[in-house]
Amino acid sequence: MPDAPQTTYRPGQAHFFADLDQTPLLGAVDAPDETSAPTSLWKDAWLQMRSRPLFWVSAVLIVLVIMVAVFPQLFSRTDPSFCDLSRSVGDPRAGHWFGFDFQGCDVYARVIYGARASVSVGVLTTIGVTILGVLIGSAAGYYGKWFDIVLSRVTDIFFAVPLLLAAILVMSVFSTHRTVVLVAIVLAVFGWPQIARITRGAVLSVKNNEFVTAAQSLGISKPGILMRHIIPNAMAPVIATATVSLGVFIVAEATLSFLGVGLPASVVSWGGDISRAQSVIRTAPQLLLYPGGALGLTVLSFIMMGDVVRDALDPKARTR
Amino acid sequence: MAWYAARRLLQMIPVFIGATLLIYAMVFLLPADPIAALGGDRGLPPAVADQLRAQYHLNQPFIVQYGFYLKGLLTGNLGTSFTQRPVADMLAQAFPTTLKLASMTLVIEAVAGIGVGLWAGIRKGGIFDATFLVISLILIAVPIFVIGFAGQVLFGVKLGWVPPTVGANVNFKTLLLPAFVLATASFAYILRLTRTTVVENRNADHVRTATAKGLKPGRVISVHVLRNSLIPVVTYLGTDVGALLGGAVVTEGIFNIPGVGNLLFTAIKRHEAPTIVSVTVFLVMVYLISNLIVDLLYAVLDPRIRYA
Amino acid sequence: MTTNTTENTVSTAAPLLEVKDLEVAFKTQQGEVKAVRGVDLTVYPGQSVAIVGESGSGKSTTAHAVINLLPGTGKITGGSIKFDGRELVGAGAKDIIDLRGKEIGLVPQDPMSNLNPVWRIGFQIKEALTANGVDTKQRRQKLTDALVEIETTPSGDDLYLGHEGKKALITALGNAGVDEAAVAAADKALQVGSTTRAQAAGILESAGLKDAEAVAAEHVTGASATDRVAGLLAEAGLGDAERRARQYPHEFSGGMRQRALIAMGLAARPKLLIADEPTSALDVTVQKKILDHLEGLTSELGTAVLFITHDLGLAAERAEHLVVMYKGKVVESGPSRQILKAPQHPYTQRLVAAAPSLTSRRIQSAHAAGIETDELLASHADSGAQKRGDNVVEVKNLTKVFRIRGSRPGTGTDFTAVDDISFGLPRGTTLALVGESGSGKSTAANMVLGLLQPTAGVVEFDGQDITKLRGRKAFQFRRRIQPVFQNPYGSLDPMFSIYRTVEEPLRIHRVGDAKAREKRVRELLDMVALPASMMRRFPNELSGGQRQRIAIARALALNPEVIVLDEAVSALDVLVQAQVLTLLNDLQAELGLSYLFITHDLAVVRQIADKVCVMQNGKIVEQGPTDQIFDTPSQDYTRELLAAIPGASLEIGPEVPAV
Repeated sequence: MPDAPQTTYRPGQAHFFADLDQTPLLGAVDAPDETSAPTSLWKDAWLQMRSRPLFWVSAVLIVLVIMVAVFPQLFSRTDPSFCDLSRSVGDPRAGHWFGFDFQGCDVYARVIYGARASVSVGVLTTIGVTILGVLIGSAAGYYGKWFDIVLSRVTDIFFAVPLLLAAILVMSVFSTHRTVVLVAIVLAVFGWPQIARITRGAVLSVKNNEFVTAAQSLGISKPGILMRHIIPNAMAPVIATATVSLGVFIVAEATLSFLGVGLPASVVSWGGDISRAQSVIRTAPQLLLYPGGALGLTVLSFIMMGDVVRDALDPKARTR
Repeated sequence: MAWYAARRLLQMIPVFIGATLLIYAMVFLLPADPIAALGGDRGLPPAVADQLRAQYHLNQPFIVQYGFYLKGLLTGNLGTSFTQRPVADMLAQAFPTTLKLASMTLVIEAVAGIGVGLWAGIRKGGIFDATFLVISLILIAVPIFVIGFAGQVLFGVKLGWVPPTVGANVNFKTLLLPAFVLATASFAYILRLTRTTVVENRNADHVRTATAKGLKPGRVISVHVLRNSLIPVVTYLGTDVGALLGGAVVTEGIFNIPGVGNLLFTAIKRHEAPTIVSVTVFLVMVYLISNLIVDLLYAVLDPRIRYA
Repeated sequence: MTTNTTENTVSTAAPLLEVKDLEVAFKTQQGEVKAVRGVDLTVYPGQSVAIVGESGSGKSTTAHAVINLLPGTGKITGGSIKFDGRELVGAGAKDIIDLRGKEIGLVPQDPMSNLNPVWRIGFQIKEALTANGVDTKQRRQKLTDALVEIETTPSGDDLYLGHEGKKALITALGNAGVDEAAVAAADKALQVGSTTRAQAAGILESAGLKDAEAVAAEHVTGASATDRVAGLLAEAGLGDAERRARQYPHEFSGGMRQRALIAMGLAARPKLLIADEPTSALDVTVQKKILDHLEGLTSELGTAVLFITHDLGLAAERAEHLVVMYKGKVVESGPSRQILKAPQHPYTQRLVAAAPSLTSRRIQSAHAAGIETDELLASHADSGAQKRGDNVVEVKNLTKVFRIRGSRPGTGTDFTAVDDISFGLPRGTTLALVGESGSGKSTAANMVLGLLQPTAGVVEFDGQDITKLRGRKAFQFRRRIQPVFQNPYGSLDPMFSIYRTVEEPLRIHRVGDAKAREKRVRELLDMVALPASMMRRFPNELSGGQRQRIAIARALALNPEVIVLDEAVSALDVLVQAQVLTLLNDLQAELGLSYLFITHDLAVVRQIADKVCVMQNGKIVEQGPTDQIFDTPSQDYTRELLAAIPGASLEIGPEVPAV
């Protein structure tokens, strides 16, 4: 040491400094790391999802379900509406693996062909609620003031009517026009408030960010900022919720069909088949279990996917 | 606190008017002829159709119709069913049963959901946590009528532990199975919500401070983690009443419980639109009131709200 | 590790805390990451020691390891922690719980998040008492029983005044015919739950009571836990403590919450108090008051304090011994004065040279010695000098009133955020708007940026009133003034790549074609000393300082004349802060920019600003050239702000220690 000051030290408190080779200063102050591969938020999310088995399980299931819904004839060559009462509640046999239902229709074929109704209602409704919810929620959150007051109150009103009750009510008025599109519209009309609330919350938290003020300082118009900066940043929780609700809407459709106010008997649907299996539930529970299981598995795959997506996109909920 | 309660009550009025208007509009302004639809495939006797048109003031402008409807609602006149019984009487008879079922369900789902969720959150990443996360996903995915029938066949028919249907014999024991069935999905949601908030709160700075004060782990969990985690869970329980009542339609139908849900279930089967409307509006009212109660409870749980 | 120590030691009492070769690791997806690597640290009873380091240096982790409060997957993987002779590494959970609060207290960093929002303040402090077996009713009973038997009063240190006791004492004073003023004074001096028997006797005596000691002995018989809570809050410097104890955290300001946390940390009279950045989240003047109070309190109680801080000036002022950490290792440790005077390790040398509080102090000593200080300053660009004289921005009588909605109908109030302020920003220079939170400085900045319509007054840019600009002209104006904000994590859109971020201004204002724009982006990145390869990256891959540099590049894209820097360096580590300040200074010299520098940090102002406006409660209380404000402040508030810069009491020469 150049000029050791004449100080006395307590044990362990002497003037100490580390060897430079043990504590090298790591380069220039705040030098950027150019070696790592560039990543974006989406890429990060993808890497995170990819590492989870749950993602692959649900992805395979979802692809399978969608394949079945779009090309049922690839999976079953039997006509689901060809029924023969002489085979009523018949046992499984070659080519008819799940046996026959009360009307003597092939259960396997009905399970395969039933996928289309469920998946279409789920997808259509989800598209509907996402469009409605994001439009209303982001407008309320971004424009604020009286716009927010009115839109939030409207959201409250729709939120106050439980989805299933509202759907039962409206569907029971239609005895003739019950189609997949109608069920989807009815569910979407009463199902959007959840997405709207989530979007509004996300927009509110994004809009306070300084990059939004920076965009204002550039002179970008309000709708421009909403579209360019705010909505893309507010989408993560919406995507996760929408994926889960896809499953929830499939259940809702099945429940309506089960209650007899959903799709008519002429449309092959899991809910309807479960409803008809009621009468023979004690003697032939398998008639309930096949469509019930298919329904459960489909919904499960979407809910699991929603879970994985939420974990990957929402750092707050991410399992640390 | 008083101001908060008053404000909440005031805020409920437009929501109530809006919600009833919405229901009314959905049913009576739809392109399909509601009166014709009532008859279903069989068609309606002209006398009944005329009587119904008069009853719902269908020849008047929409807003007047709604006015009459709201007046009837507020004076407890909910119309009559096809069997000429006042719907209000039917509701008065059925509601206590539904209330019993709903309270049992709420207790089951809250106790089990919070308990399991708390434990899973504390032991995050453990085998208990992983198991219940998977179970919760399955419970959410399988529709209530599948669970209901499965439970009925298994516990009611095969094992014979409980009667498969309730019928007129409404008591704690007969309602137990339906209550468990009704609780399944919400149990899963509450479990997951509790787990998430417990994990979040356990990482909160103030919990670390509480630990640094020298509190025992049990006290940190109960006084600081659980207490704070209950706030969102209670909010969820409030909104869940709506799902519970909707689910009760199916559950009461399956187990033949003479409650409000069953009233709706049979009304749907018989295509009795007036009864369906009245019962639905009644359930929406119950839902709004339960939400109000939860809002007030929320203020008790979270001191920040009282002064906001 | 024992190299380079000057072995010239004296032996004194045994150390209170002795950390040797401590290693802490966190489990991550990439494997184990060592956050603390072989740290040595010694604290003696009653001594104050500070660990200094930037974010990620492992300073907080070291402190948390001592009381076994490592977050998440953190684990002690080696070394030893001895407290009062006991080994804590590997000690049982119960032993650690017994130690927490009772022997080692903690004052945490962020007062906003460290109190449980759903419990009353008093409840949370009382928990600290009961959990550590202090002042439970049982113990009080035992003490009074003992006293009845012994007759003679002990020092009375263990007995506090209860609220019934206080009433009785005041009555006794009244009965004795003491005059009202003296009774009132005694009423104020006697603090329930804090005044001991001996102190009470003293207060009574000075009020003029004859048999003060006997009266005190009769009525000062111990306080209930509730009274003690009030006493602790009063000791921590909170007025009206009994009422405050019944309030919830959200009814407290940041400073009040921090006082409550100090009361909590000291409740069970620990031997060691760990103060983890105890005041970083508070305004400077509040910060100084609380630190002064903490210092007084701990020296009175003989509590040792372990400060964790990023501010070398603050550390040197408050602690006698410093431990400087960098990347999980101790790079230098020793007596504070020695480290400031003769830092040995290059990192410490950089830190000593860069810390704004120390630089500010250095300039002050230089001025006192009559030395020119240009080489100490980051600023003073000369290129703008020829244009000096005209103000590029002229603010006249600017006022902004916000309507605050009350919790009840009709209880809304008007809040004047900016109250009739006027100032001018000379072209090519830096004007600093300084103030604490709520002073209106950011509101003023937003009005200058044209993002907020003033309630009254004008903002002239080059002689043109910008508050009246509309449409095309307003859009054109945007090119001439651009902002850089505080939060490096919120100021860049996470969905935009760096290229899109920097290019956006050009695209919005239709500058050049795609090719020209890319060229310009490269140029801009080069200006802020970032490689062009950064273009394809996203903000989440960048450090705070790098993000701020990107924000500066974005602000520069349109060749503005004025840049509004709203706390632009406040969130950065000291060395990064110095680097960004130098960059700003170079850019000013090169491009002739004018800066409106909004900050709460006077120390930084001294380094960069030519002119200073001090704001308080929406008003400008004082403005003038920087040297004038610092050397001869005319307002009390300015003097208070200056005194609050950490390190004001340090004796530092004008010269930067040789590197």
